[in-house]
Amino acid sequence: MEILEMILLSFLVVCAVSVALSKNLLTSIVIFMAYSVIMSIVWMILESPDLAITEAAVGAGVTSVLFYITLKKIHAMKGEEDDEAEE
Amino acid sequence: MEWIRFCVIALFLAASLGMAVISVAGVFKFKFILNRMHAAAIIDSFALLLAMVGVAVAYGFSFATVKVVLIVLLVWVASPVSGHLIARLEVTTDKHLSEECEVRE
Amino acid sequence: MKPRSDYELSLWRRLVRFVDGETLADVERRAEENREQDAQSQKKVDVEAEIRFEQEEKEDREDRKRRLEMEHQKEAEALLEKYKNWPKEHGVKIFGRLYAVMAVLLCAVVITTLLVTVSYLPEYGSPNNPNNNEVVEKYNKDGLYDTGATNNVAGMILDYRAFDTLGESHVLFVAAVCVMILLRLELTKDGKPTDVKRAEEENDRLYEPKNDKILQLSAKILVPVIIMYGIYVILNGHLSPGGGFSGGAIIGAGLILYVNAFGFEKATRIMNRKNYAVISVVPLLFYAIAKGYSFFTGANHLESGIPKGTPGAILSGGLILPLNICVGIVVACTMYHFYTLFRKGGM
Repeated sequence: MEILEMILLSFLVVCAVSVALSKNLLTSIVIFMAYSVIMSIVWMILESPDLAITEAAVGAGVTSVLFYITLKKIHAMKGEEDDEAEE
Repeated sequence: MEWIRFCVIALFLAASLGMAVISVAGVFKFKFILNRMHAAAIIDSFALLLAMVGVAVAYGFSFATVKVVLIVLLVWVASPVSGHLIARLEVTTDKHLSEECEVRE
Repeated sequence: MKPRSDYELSLWRRLVRFVDGETLADVERRAEENREQDAQSQKKVDVEAEIRFEQEEKEDREDRKRRLEMEHQKEAEALLEKYKNWPKEHGVKIFGRLYAVMAVLLCAVVITTLLVTVSYLPEYGSPNNPNNNEVVEKYNKDGLYDTGATNNVAGMILDYRAFDTLGESHVLFVAAVCVMILLRLELTKDGKPTDVKRAEEENDRLYEPKNDKILQLSAKILVPVIIMYGIYVILNGHLSPGGGFSGGAIIGAGLILYVNAFGFEKATRIMNRKNYAVISVVPLLFYAIAKGYSFFTGANHLESGIPKGTPGAILSGGLILPLNICVGIVVACTMYHFYTLFRKGGM
């Protein structure tokens, strides 16, 4: 179990660093979602299922959706920009 | 008897892991988004089924089996629909689609 | 080049005159003739120049004005161009450098503050630590008897420490109100959406499939299951892991899925603004009335007068079940409302 915990924690560190380092905002959000999912598994291992459910629903679900909508609103998604440039 | 059960569980879980590895490799190998979606869908359908069968065998026939069946059913309903939506968005927005695959107008 | 006035009297000129056989008078006469010719021609030139000058002066003044204006304009344009590009060329550099320096400073300050705070923390595993004192023992030992909830966490956050959870629910409500202030698009006086709002809605669903049959069918299957699971998590909050916040978030996610599948028109039949106000304020009021006395008793446990019931049954735990329902309703409404506000500025 300790090995699994260590793997998960190292995943957490990698996710946190790559969120900060990735150039594309969309990629950052997807990695942030992965961070939330791993975090919820870590909560599960730490024997707090309440937090695990909340983290999975809020962190991975609702927050990312709000981030996506914000990105769409401020026209920061990369594909859309390319389309506009072509037109 | 115990070790047969253990072998079955290990077999299922190992097969699931193998499927997951194949799927991830496909996601990174392919360039075009629809191919990558096809590769990514393996994890949602087949790897999940194998892993859940392994879990069900490990826990024996109990209330957990019903939960496992429910999980598989829910993911099998949700995952193809999300894949369909992503593919549809890709087809409506990508202008270079005809370079990658045949497009029927 | 004109010679000096005493040039003719100089030694060299006298010698030259002696060699040429001229006298001083001859030279003076010739010089005078020259001067007269010069003066006449000068006069002519002067007169012509004067006429020309008078003609030109009028034009010149206007021209000069215009030229001056042009020069000013050119200078201004050059300045403008110079300073237009300044932020792009130098300003960004300076700002970037300043930003980097400030970011590093801020990071350093935060890190030192946290490290100093950590250094004040008690040693890990020491028996005198706060997590080993009598509070935890009391919660673990008497929790079931005091609150009647088999889920110790629910008993703690909704009975012993219900006042904290009251604050949390109000934080959510205040956050929803703030987002509403920032993002809400007003209706016109007739109650119809304004042009901005309509444009926003059209732009919003530009690439989105409208009335997708597959999505609708799957949403028909999934949404009831999701919402039922959320209700189960809320109602079982005092018996098993879960509770108001988790269940509310799950229900909110289900509502968001419903909106995405069937569109806002169908959803606003139930989830409109009036209903939202009622639905989210009434549970908060109930919560505040039920647990507000903790403010005076110092967040301590008090008897609510409601029978605890047998631990493990659904109807047990006194006020925990209704409070869980309140929190769940508030959280679900707030999640859904956040989504609609971000999406198109209002329900």
